[in-house]
Amino acid sequence: MNAIIVLTKSLLRQTVRNRQGLFWTLFFPLVLMFVFSFLGNSQSQVNLAIVAPSGPSAVVKALKRSPVFHIQRTNRHVALQEVQQGTMDAALFIPPVDPHHTTTLTLRYNNANAITAQQVVGSVEAFVAQADIALSGQPPLFQVSPQAMTHSHSSTYLDFLLPGILALMTMQNSLFGIGSGLTRWKEKGVLRRFQVTPVRPLQFLTATIINYVVVGLVSSGIIIGFATTILHATVLVPWVPLLIVLLLGMGCFLSIGFIVAGLSKSQEATIPIINLISFPMMFLSGVFFSVSSLPHILADIVQYFPLTYVANAMRGLMSGQLTAASAAFRNDIIGLLVWIVVTGAIASRTWRWE
Amino acid sequence: MEKGLRLENISKRYGTMTAVDSLTLTVPSGIVFGLLGPNGAGKTTTLEIIEGLRRPDEGHVWWNDMDVTRNPEHARSHFGMQLQTSAFFELLTVKETLELFHSLYRKRLSVGDLIERLDLTEKQNARVGGLSGGQQQRLALACALINDPEVVFLDEPSAGLDPQARRTLWDVILGLKSEGRTVVLTTHYMEEAEVLADRLAIIDHGHVLDEGTPRELIQRHMPAAVIELSRTVGVDASVDLPAVQRTENRDEMTILVSDHLENTLVGLVNWAQREGRELTGLTTRSATLEDVFLELTGRSLRE
Ligand SMILES: Nc1ncnc2c1ncn2[C@@H]1O[C@H](COP(=O)(O)OP(=O)(O)OP(=O)(O)O)[C@@H](O)[C@H]1O
Ligand SMILES: [Mg+2]
Repeated sequence: MNAIIVLTKSLLRQTVRNRQGLFWTLFFPLVLMFVFSFLGNSQSQVNLAIVAPSGPSAVVKALKRSPVFHIQRTNRHVALQEVQQGTMDAALFIPPVDPHHTTTLTLRYNNANAITAQQVVGSVEAFVAQADIALSGQPPLFQVSPQAMTHSHSSTYLDFLLPGILALMTMQNSLFGIGSGLTRWKEKGVLRRFQVTPVRPLQFLTATIINYVVVGLVSSGIIIGFATTILHATVLVPWVPLLIVLLLGMGCFLSIGFIVAGLSKSQEATIPIINLISFPMMFLSGVFFSVSSLPHILADIVQYFPLTYVANAMRGLMSGQLTAASAAFRNDIIGLLVWIVVTGAIASRTWRWE
Repeated sequence: MEKGLRLENISKRYGTMTAVDSLTLTVPSGIVFGLLGPNGAGKTTTLEIIEGLRRPDEGHVWWNDMDVTRNPEHARSHFGMQLQTSAFFELLTVKETLELFHSLYRKRLSVGDLIERLDLTEKQNARVGGLSGGQQQRLALACALINDPEVVFLDEPSAGLDPQARRTLWDVILGLKSEGRTVVLTTHYMEEAEVLADRLAIIDHGHVLDEGTPRELIQRHMPAAVIELSRTVGVDASVDLPAVQRTENRDEMTILVSDHLENTLVGLVNWAQREGRELTGLTTRSATLEDVFLELTGRSLRE
């Protein structure tokens, strides 16, 4: 036990002093999120062109007050043109209101971007339903309490990206940590030196794993903190289930790292193999865009990738679509556990101390 | 039972290559024992087998009455080891590294004392990655001593040291002996072996060619004297000189190994006068370990 503690302390010291390593661990995720936070912001408000008879209108007034919409009153022709060009998300046509009949509001939207289109239609429908009740003066029959949904309904690309970045970072930290750190120590004879001390291999292994887990958790914390406080990402952070996903993800990628490091003799040989493993997952596993936008055949395969499980579970938890009790979440966890058992078993067979 | 290390018929093969070939050796307690041999002779492999780092394919290693081969962990707690190629965490300081190793053992020497003893005081707060080769070598030795070992194994401890640092190292090693520790070391430096080793084994192709005190080895293999003279003089095997065992060229010099120094010298002088040559660079000396080594292995120590 004592050996594990002193080794872990030394390893962490070594990690913290590796400024370059730390920089690359955090730099890319932070820059990526920073860049995409600009890209995503315009989507939090719906740009709505309004075509209505001149004069004051209760509906228009209510729309103007809503934080969800950015309103521009214009004529029919300009409105349609703007929607076509994409400068406006949708155009809402409000005919003169006849108090004795139902008034039909027509919404024209551009469905080139499916996500935006959905968001627009949803927002307007929700708004109209509410306005209907409010304007009619009747007490509402039903009332929706908009709790968790406030997070999920107006999500920006940053909100989408953050869990993906966390998943990606988990993979990179674990894979490259083992691939460049441990292989290097193996190559240079650091491991041999500990082999002749009373330190048991399992103790060294434990210390190594603790080191990477601590690094992984701290950097995840930094990324979440940066995204939520500085970039104002609106995500849920259910700590316990997130922690479970992070730990399982690390377990899986550390095992894969051990397999690669066990089979290759030098650091030069390890890095390309690790790139080969991580690159496809980085681009296909739903870090930057949803797996569902891939061709079916590809998506069918990609859904079993370990990074896909991590990214799905993280995104589900952070968007509020999944809770620890959801069946889909359990599936992701089971998928990861299977990966850990399989890769762990292989790693324990292929690992060599020299 | 005799105290010390005993290697009984140790063999180690890598594929078809036999690195150690039924090697038998005894190292009495409390002495400095030197393993001499050309590159690839099997010195490191032998050391690693004694240390319990590698399992021999055949044979046994005993230390006092402990079976090292069967019980390497237990034996190792009495051993200190400096490996030929080992490295430490580059971003830790010298002191932190020693403290790390210090905390892994129950029986141990003080970090501060070792730093002082190995002349690392100035560098104690420097990162290991920034040390010179010689400083790293000294750190490795300090780490080998941290558990207050009874037997110290040093695999080429003076490799990469400047003459000054080498002498400091010799003092440290002789100090270890005076404290009653056994030291087993490999070296490529004859002078070092002569200064340090109480007993030597000359190894090649994985077995012991001969073993004994330096004096014994010289007397056994090189009872003769050595005459050296410049190669330009032109003495070679075709020149008939009395009492000459062997004539060979080494670098710029011609070397005559003689059973009887006076007779050979008289013959040489007569030959020079007859031929009208000048005996440039003529020196005589008694044989050294280097000559023994050459005689036994046919190879120079550092080729
Ligand atoms: N892990 C290994 N796998 C295969 N062959 C090895 C291995 N280790 C050593 N050998 C071979 O065994 C032989 C003995 O090697 P060893 O390292 O014991 O020599 P050495 O006497 O220490 O040489 P040096 O003076 O160069 O340090 C060499 O021919 C070497 O190539
Ligand atoms: Mg060697």
